[in-house]
Amino acid sequence: MEPILSIQGLEKSFGPLKVLKGIDLDVQKGEVVCIIGASGSGKSTLLRCLNLLEEPDSGHIWFGGQDLTDLDADLDGLRQRIGMVFQGFNLFNNKNVLDNCTLAPISVKHIPRAQAEETAIHHLRTVGLGEFIHADSRRLSGGQKQRVAIARALCMEPEIMLFDEPTSALDPEIVGEVLDVMKTLAREGMTMVVVTHEMAFAKEVSDRVVFMDQGVILEQGTPAEVFGSPREARTREFLSRYLEDKGI
Amino acid sequence: MAMNNIFSALCAILGDAGRWLRGRAAALLSFAAADHPYVYLSGSALSLAAALTYIFSQRYGFFLSRPLWVWTALALCGAFCLASLAALASKLRLKRRYRAGSRFCAPAARRAARYGSYVIWTVAALTLADRLHVLYQVVREVMAMDTNPSPFFQAMVYMFYNSRALFLRGLWTTLRLAFFGTIFGFLLAVGLVFLRIQTPSKRDWDHVKLIKILCSRFAALYATVVRGTPMMLQAFIIYYAGFGLFKGHTDLTITEINTIWSFFIAGLTTVSLNSAAYLSEVLRGGVESIDAGQTEAARSLGMSSWMTMMKVVFPQALKNSIPAIGNEMIINIKDSSVLNCIGVVELMYAATSVAGIYYKNLPNYVSAAIIYLIMTCCISAILNKLSARLSLNTYRGVPSSN
Ligand SMILES: Nc1ncnc2c1ncn2[C@@H]1O[C@H](COP(=O)(O)OP(=O)(O)OP(=O)(O)O)[C@@H](O)[C@H]1O
Ligand SMILES: [Mg+2]
Repeated sequence: MEPILSIQGLEKSFGPLKVLKGIDLDVQKGEVVCIIGASGSGKSTLLRCLNLLEEPDSGHIWFGGQDLTDLDADLDGLRQRIGMVFQGFNLFNNKNVLDNCTLAPISVKHIPRAQAEETAIHHLRTVGLGEFIHADSRRLSGGQKQRVAIARALCMEPEIMLFDEPTSALDPEIVGEVLDVMKTLAREGMTMVVVTHEMAFAKEVSDRVVFMDQGVILEQGTPAEVFGSPREARTREFLSRYLEDKGI
Repeated sequence: MAMNNIFSALCAILGDAGRWLRGRAAALLSFAAADHPYVYLSGSALSLAAALTYIFSQRYGFFLSRPLWVWTALALCGAFCLASLAALASKLRLKRRYRAGSRFCAPAARRAARYGSYVIWTVAALTLADRLHVLYQVVREVMAMDTNPSPFFQAMVYMFYNSRALFLRGLWTTLRLAFFGTIFGFLLAVGLVFLRIQTPSKRDWDHVKLIKILCSRFAALYATVVRGTPMMLQAFIIYYAGFGLFKGHTDLTITEINTIWSFFIAGLTTVSLNSAAYLSEVLRGGVESIDAGQTEAARSLGMSSWMTMMKVVFPQALKNSIPAIGNEMIINIKDSSVLNCIGVVELMYAATSVAGIYYKNLPNYVSAAIIYLIMTCCISAILNKLSARLSLNTYRGVPSSN
């Protein structure tokens, strides 16, 4: 089957620092891929390259039959089909919850306001924020903000969703409410690429786990393979230290 | 060797003495600050001020004989001073137990002090009312005079009253310069800041990159030039450059040019162009203060950079900049005074003209200063109200159930 997203030989440097050293990765439609790895291994950079928030130095990113790295690609058009959720929520501070969700559909997809609001309310209800539709986005809790951010991305009806450590900025007690939303999404068949430190989530939800180390993909496989019997020494080291750090 | 020893011993002694003194001073200060009924002292100061007002002023008022009033006030002052002294003595005697043990801390004494403060308050209020009445009388008299009186205040009132048309015209012009100058300046600044924040990206075509670089350089250069030269000089340059343009490229006569390219228009242009530079910096700061995350979120949703700017970044930047924009208006009220150099009849020009008519400088400049002060205070009060109203709006969106 043709992958929905195909990354070939992706490289990226920040000045002298080479952060991505040739990444190849295919994501099938409906697949949930979790990217794990040590801090500074380039996970966020990879994810941000996937919708060209970072411009890669070389390599190709094929999405829906188009190469995003082509200088003449219609970036804004392609980005409409790729949702992204950030670690820091990044809600629009000058808009309330509903307007956060309807801004892009109305202004870039030219959907009539009433219809956009209907869709937004539907998605806000699914993430459990039906009561906060008119709330000031600055006054929400972190978990609520992140769920609004997810709803906002869903309102564009993306074909794939990218998550960059969506729960890292949250208090441990409210990590669950965001993860639950993501699990529901995964169950509904959304294609997802998730950078995360939540190993339990990765184990439970993902179809494939990708371990990144120093700018390369060192190992990938099903959660059972990667967590159960990692092939690489580096992976074992990371996982054991990670589990130790977490006190598990 | 011996010298050294003596020296270090001396240092030690001096150091000890210094520490001791500092300790005493701190103890004394905390003693003075603790529990003192300062109402006695402030009461005596106020009533003394009331008495002095009548001892030194030539005019007195409408409701009491002067000696009686002076003696009342002095007696009050004396009574409060005595009470204060007695309280101090009691405090020195009782030290730490003052608060618990002294009669001056008993509720009865506190109540007496409170009633005493009402009396002082009345005296002060009556004195003030009387002085205002006297002021009113003086102003009435001055308004009826037909020669310039010599006392400072009277002369000031006389000249202001008799040249009020000129002063008011100046005031009105100053207000218009500041108001419209800030508005036009703001509109220009919005344009400038959009030029300024253009950054070429890898995906732009080459000529777009070039245009973006040129735009941003131009806006930066404009701000540098305007902020780096005095406004008075800008006024001269703009006035004469405009005049030259009309003269060189049209066949208008000089009188015709002066009606089209009037001093006021040239002055307004100066203020606007000047404010544009400062406000563009303010707005740029506002744009840069919006965290990049919001821009990235908007771009990740497929919004163009222009749309991101218009719908997300700029509205927030603008809102954050509102206080600074108000500030610019107040600055313009004051700084438009330099436009008197090209003959704009604003308040400064009016004051100078009146000074020239009467050969008296100081009173007229003080009048002008008072008017400027009133204007700036009023405007900043209005602006504070407005910005309070605006920030209130942000609290509207309290969670509502549906
Ligand atoms: N904009 C940038 N400019 C310069 N260096 C950067 C930039 N963004 C990331 N880096 C560097 O690139 C390296 C990889 O960063 P990246 O954020 O991709 O790591 P990460 O795997 O997401 O780590 P973490 O788990 O801490 O989020 C780091 O050394 C970081 O300092
Ligand atoms: Mg990261």
